Amino acid sequence: MLPTFTYVRPKTVAEALEQGAAEGAALHAGGTDLLGCLRDRVFQAGKIVSLSGLSELRGIAATREGGLRIGALTTLAEIAEHATIQERYPALAQGAASAASPQLRSQGTLGGNLCQRPRCWYFRGDFHCLRKGGGRCYAVAGQNQFHCILGGMGCYIVHPSDTAPALIALGAQVRIVSRGSSRLLALESFFVPPAQTVRRENVLRPGELVSEVRLPPAPAGMRSRYRKVRARGSWDFALAGVAVAAVLAEGKVQQVRVVLSGVAPIPWRATEAEAALVGKPLDADAIGRAAAASVAGAQPLSHNGYKIHLVRGIVAETLEALV
Amino acid sequence: MTRRRGSKGDGKGLSRRDFLGSVGASTVGAALTVAAPPLTAAEPAPQQEGLTPVALRINGRAERVLVEPRWTLLDVLRERLGLTGTKDGCERGECGACTVLIDGTARYACLVLAVEAEGREITTVEGLMNGEALGPVQAAFVEADGFQCGFCTPGQVMAAEGLLRKQPHPSLEEIREGMSGNLCRCGSYRHIFEAVRRAAEARG
Amino acid sequence: MRYYVDGEDRPATEPQGTPQLPPWGETRVVGKPLSRVDGYERVSGTAMYTLDVALPDMLHAAIVRCPHAHARVTKVDTSRAEKMPGVRAVLTGTTPGADLPWYFGEQGPTSKLFDPHCRYAGEEVAAVAAETPHQARDAAQAVVVEYEVLPFVVDPDAALKPDAPKVHEGGNRLGDPRVTQRGDVQAGFAQADMVVEGSYRTPCELHTTMETFVSVTRWEGDRLTVWESTQGVYATREGLARTLGLPLSSVRVICPYMGGGFGSKFEVGKYTVIAALLARMTARPVKAALSREESFLSEGNRPANLITLRAGAKKDGTLTALQGSFTGVVGAYPSGGTAAFQVLALYRCPNVRVEESDLYLNAGKARAFRAPGFPQCNWALEQLMDDLAQKLGMDPVDLRLKNLTTVLQMWGNPPFTSTGLGECLTRGAEAFGWQAARARPRGAGPVVRGVGMAAGMWGYPGEPRSTVIVKLYPDFSVNLNMGASDIGTGTKTVMAMVVAEELGVPLARIQIEHADTGTTQYAPVSGGSQTVLVNAPAVRAAAADVKGQLLEIAAGEMNCSAGDLVLADGKVARADSTGEPKPVTDLRGLQERQVLVGVGRRHPHPQGKVGLPFAAQFAEVEVNRRTGEIRVIRLVAAHDSGRVMNLKTYENQVFGGMTMGIGFGLTEQRLLDPQTGKMANANWHDYKIPTAKDVPLEQTCVPVDPHDTECNTTGAKGLGEPATIPTAAAIANAVYHATGVRVTEAPITPMSMLELLAVPKGGE
Repeated sequence: MLPTFTYVRPKTVAEALEQGAAEGAALHAGGTDLLGCLRDRVFQAGKIVSLSGLSELRGIAATREGGLRIGALTTLAEIAEHATIQERYPALAQGAASAASPQLRSQGTLGGNLCQRPRCWYFRGDFHCLRKGGGRCYAVAGQNQFHCILGGMGCYIVHPSDTAPALIALGAQVRIVSRGSSRLLALESFFVPPAQTVRRENVLRPGELVSEVRLPPAPAGMRSRYRKVRARGSWDFALAGVAVAAVLAEGKVQQVRVVLSGVAPIPWRATEAEAALVGKPLDADAIGRAAAASVAGAQPLSHNGYKIHLVRGIVAETLEALV
Repeated sequence: MTRRRGSKGDGKGLSRRDFLGSVGASTVGAALTVAAPPLTAAEPAPQQEGLTPVALRINGRAERVLVEPRWTLLDVLRERLGLTGTKDGCERGECGACTVLIDGTARYACLVLAVEAEGREITTVEGLMNGEALGPVQAAFVEADGFQCGFCTPGQVMAAEGLLRKQPHPSLEEIREGMSGNLCRCGSYRHIFEAVRRAAEARG
Repeated sequence: MRYYVDGEDRPATEPQGTPQLPPWGETRVVGKPLSRVDGYERVSGTAMYTLDVALPDMLHAAIVRCPHAHARVTKVDTSRAEKMPGVRAVLTGTTPGADLPWYFGEQGPTSKLFDPHCRYAGEEVAAVAAETPHQARDAAQAVVVEYEVLPFVVDPDAALKPDAPKVHEGGNRLGDPRVTQRGDVQAGFAQADMVVEGSYRTPCELHTTMETFVSVTRWEGDRLTVWESTQGVYATREGLARTLGLPLSSVRVICPYMGGGFGSKFEVGKYTVIAALLARMTARPVKAALSREESFLSEGNRPANLITLRAGAKKDGTLTALQGSFTGVVGAYPSGGTAAFQVLALYRCPNVRVEESDLYLNAGKARAFRAPGFPQCNWALEQLMDDLAQKLGMDPVDLRLKNLTTVLQMWGNPPFTSTGLGECLTRGAEAFGWQAARARPRGAGPVVRGVGMAAGMWGYPGEPRSTVIVKLYPDFSVNLNMGASDIGTGTKTVMAMVVAEELGVPLARIQIEHADTGTTQYAPVSGGSQTVLVNAPAVRAAAADVKGQLLEIAAGEMNCSAGDLVLADGKVARADSTGEPKPVTDLRGLQERQVLVGVGRRHPHPQGKVGLPFAAQFAEVEVNRRTGEIRVIRLVAAHDSGRVMNLKTYENQVFGGMTMGIGFGLTEQRLLDPQTGKMANANWHDYKIPTAKDVPLEQTCVPVDPHDTECNTTGAKGLGEPATIPTAAAIANAVYHATGVRVTEAPITPMSMLELLAVPKGGE
């Protein structure tokens, strides 16, 4: 059952920012994660600020530069089914299509998918963990098969989004609006690792919201894919996933980004893997080295060592599929 | 028992406390004695405070209900409007038993706040009937034996309806994908896929 | 025969003898793939499940549960909760009438309704009743409970150690191991040319029925009416009457539709008694509905099993010895945890020894779950047999065929009334294309394919106790009145088809009353794969009784004896075809009486024989060795469950059982946090049951009907449980065939697959 809250549905973004700045306010986009968090008492929210009246946050349109602008309230289903996204930014379409279930994709929004809270069952469960202001992380000595192998520090969550790795691989930017101003930043910079703080997963402050995501024009010859491995065929978050975007020319990799999901508290750029590919032909040798490099520095916990094999496997498989 | 429509009692009305008081405190067996008198409510009329009026359109009918903001569309359908065809399986969007159509798209009613559902066209399993006759998707489920205990079935039927409105001629693989947001613990999946295939044929 | 329910064994007391009706020959209705008689209600949303019941003036209950794996309640403060909006009653262990014994072991009750000594996280501590479900939950959260937290144990290996925290005073083992043996296993192993052994583990599994657990209770004076999501209204009635000290005549349990049981709903739950007590206190009906998360904690599970098995055989595959030890992790209170039955009975073997014991743990107590103990045993036995076949250089199907038996090798060695296991193996293999599939290359790349199979059987012949009434109305339509629940297996449809078969009345002219202790007659729980084999003969007998009475009346009006007459197409005619057939509706005697009431009772089991079902299932899997993903490509199930009563519902049942087997083998496990003992995956995303995308599109059912005329007067045997017994082992054997890795611990997840694949294999 949900706890009691008041509900407002502002008619303008400015009003939404005002309402959202109040103590105990939470933004309601699609609501698929918010309601779950409230049910599990992950945090308190005395006031729900609905964004559903803000039509300017919807829609997919071309940008002047020839890229794409996706409103934060665009649903995952709309993204997965969008012809231009499927054609030019397939990793994003695949990421969106691989999330959750059909009904959830029709409700969950891009903004919500980027801002969703972690799925760690200690975080969601009746445990007063570090991320909720408590004194310890229960995953370290507990059931950590779904926790991170990279980037953990004090807290070992994985970031649950499938769209974020794809967007980062595709060079996306995110616009954050606050009262009186807005700023555009690389999506990579949106996420906050535990090394910085364990109390937030992204840079958003109360009184701010994500209004849109912008994709640069897809370079000629760019190929991209998102591959997700999960325990079940539907609903499940990734055991690990990888988004790859590469431009090949003259048989060699000109540019490439390899971004992992399900392995780190933030979408994880596998920069060593990228370095092993740039300037090389996409052959078995380079792919093998990239796959090995993608888990460089990985530090598994007691039950998630399999992720090291898994990441190597999906990186290899996905790079092969790009050829 | 007949299908219920309309608001159910809000806890007022005939109180049976008076009846039992006059009958006396009869002891039935050693294990059971009449307990202390029921607690009296110290608060004012419980239902009127903190309630928001909301105008919903359900199966083509306008319904005006007073809701707490925290009540989901599922709560309202089942508890306020007596439309118990839509089932409650988990209240977390993890099973699909509460699937309804919102503006023709299959959605989980348990994850939609009633206040968010204003102004939308909501269709429940009751809304797929043709009077007392089954609609084509429902009939296909019966023919294909697409259920066992039947509790997930209204949700499956609604998911199938939503799928077929978007994709009138899905392949078996597309059917499986489209129905992947609905659990069936009895494991009728194979027959469910067949039911959707037949429904697609029946709809033409 | 022994069958455990809620920790109690039920000994065999049923009398044996011969039934009276001759076996059916060719049937006109029974066996056909007919649509369900209540399909309309289920797909229209008009079927009223207990969760849908809304009575005027009804209150809602919410339960306060212990958050600790092991603790003593030192204080319960309900003062804040009592003042909250809509609260009408609060119930604790000290409320008069609430001090009720619970969880019975061999020495009597081991706990109470609200036991201040809580032995698992989720155990009931108190309850409230309020006007709305939200108000009830809010108030439950406002009850303040103080606990003295105690050391706990949630790891089975830890629980076995002598210094482990004790769940109960007597230690963590439930008494001494139960030993069953025959012959001389030492000698048997000495005779063997090949000996194989293995250790296996299966997880704790949860039923997760679509409709959780829910009761609506209403008193009228001293009489209690309960709507309950149950598999057996008579079992619920009996349990409630006993607990509340009421005569059976004062308790009425009703359940026309229920959303899944799988064994979790045979018995009275605490929430039902809590609702009844709250209803008594408030003098209003009370509904207690468990949330999904709650349903994972307190309403039973399939216990984890730790099994070691050893098999010895001759070069030609003949088994000479089988030995095993089974530990069932039953949780916090007594329950049955294991079933070594298949080791003793599935294959012919003169020398067998099994030891079974149960282990306590600070976790929710086990409960019957679709073939209790059998999938766990099958997981071990059928992988061991697969291993044996490989080491002998034999085809796995041939190894099973080599060791068939026609006799139950215990309980006085009664012969089976029929056994189609051999035919299941050969016809299943043929339908699957087994030989060709075994010979196919697995694949040289990262993605490999393999095929595997497993045999199985179920060990409960049913409680032969059911009384059914069939009433004939003057317009030749019929009322079928029976106590049995239809838990989704199609019981109502099958029983109506039996009436249709006997009387020639179309299904559309049969009215069914069922599953209401106030208006029907005793039937055992719909579970244990006994519903058809117990009730169909009783239905047949009742319909035959009606027919007999009808023919007697007709004989009087047609001037002959009843033995000269037959009933067909709604008319009574002379068997020798002389004279005019007389429409039943023209019989004066029927019109005068306005109803004929036929009573049928289930006849006893056959003397000195036993009817049990058998199965063989075949699986093809694809394994991605780079990612650990396992996909089930196709499944074939060959089942000897006797006569197919309705081909549509039969197939659905088989596919459903296999789906559950996929869960057991590949996706499901309850995970407990080692630091607190609490369940870590207590929601329906994290406790993973198979979705539509986890089952193969290609599923085939091959019914094998041995035309058993001895098991009962309909020739049907059980199906619900055999359908799920061998699936997981067949999949595991297929995974082995594909990868060369034998996965002895269920479930086989991408996580475990990757870890096992990463282990370098010696000598390859």
